[in-house]
Amino acid sequence: MLQPGKAVKVTIYLSDGATHHGVPLYSSILDFLFYRGVAGATVTKGIAGFGADHHMHAANLVEISDRLPIKIEFIESREKVDAILGKLEELAGSGLIEMQETTVAKPAQASKPKTQPPAAAHLKIEGKAQMMRIFVNEEDRWKAKPLYEALVEAMRANDIAGVTVYRGILGYGAHRRVHKDQPLLHPHHASVMLSAIDTADKLRAFLPLVDQMVQEGLVVFSDVDIIKYAYRALETDKPADKPPAE
Amino acid sequence: MKEQFNARMLRVHFGENDRWQGKPLHEAILARCLELGIAEAVVFRGIEGYGSASRIRHASHWPRGKDAPIQMSIIDTEEQIAKLIPYLDAMVEEGLVAASAVEVIRYSNPATSPK
Repeated sequence: MLQPGKAVKVTIYLSDGATHHGVPLYSSILDFLFYRGVAGATVTKGIAGFGADHHMHAANLVEISDRLPIKIEFIESREKVDAILGKLEELAGSGLIEMQETTVAKPAQASKPKTQPPAAAHLKIEGKAQMMRIFVNEEDRWKAKPLYEALVEAMRANDIAGVTVYRGILGYGAHRRVHKDQPLLHPHHASVMLSAIDTADKLRAFLPLVDQMVQEGLVVFSDVDIIKYAYRALETDKPADKPPAE
Repeated sequence: MKEQFNARMLRVHFGENDRWQGKPLHEAILARCLELGIAEAVVFRGIEGYGSASRIRHASHWPRGKDAPIQMSIIDTEEQIAKLIPYLDAMVEEGLVAASAVEVIRYSNPATSPK
């Protein structure tokens, strides 16, 4: 929760046409900020502007422009901003990120109290850990995307060590209406299971997000021992459609 | 609604061609779980594997040749799982049942749930 006092205002300038994994870049960035528990963020669309490429982009009555400037603004504590800035720079691609010191006179009040997932950097893990399996329905959605996909993105944004999604061929559960007269074997209502492994602390810290995102489903924790955890550090999720840096 | 409780998770491994009274075994077990009111049961099809019968199972594109490995995850309280075990003993002729203690959080929507 944002406290009154010193804070940082971050503004990201993008052009509207930019996409990240096939979705508008601003919505990827907004999701990332949400998953990381940023207090609030606003996206505004400009009506005209130009950027590093010095092309004038303007909205015109006769021509529909999809290259209008987009601005994302959010205000957070310095620590929080520092924790997410690296990933943010990567996401913003060729866009501009600006920060300025600001003072919060009065933070916005959440309509209901909620806890925030801490932004802990990812550490090498071995030994005692936990496996979190989440059972949801394949058609469950979160905002515009499949819930299982949103959960994977949220876990990634929170540096959960790894997650795999399995599609069941048959099943039922808390996430499903079971009526005695309803055929239970319906191929289009597949259950999916997300299986994530990390330390107990990291997974527990992620739970408030699960609370918000999963309406119906089952979350199952079990203890595991990690024998080996190896990853290629260079294999980051560089935006595939990021234009080459100039 | 959110409930939190300690539970047991079974993973039952067998082959897709295994049958029980003419029905695919996984459908038969799932139907039994539903009858007993087990909280969660999901069937997964593996792409390759081997098990108690020591032959390699593949998920094949040819329907006649397929005997993919099947894994069922079944979750409920200790008492509920105990009710299911005798049925599994009878139904699974060749396979493996693994159990583990788990902690469960269940999210349900009272408006759409049966119970």
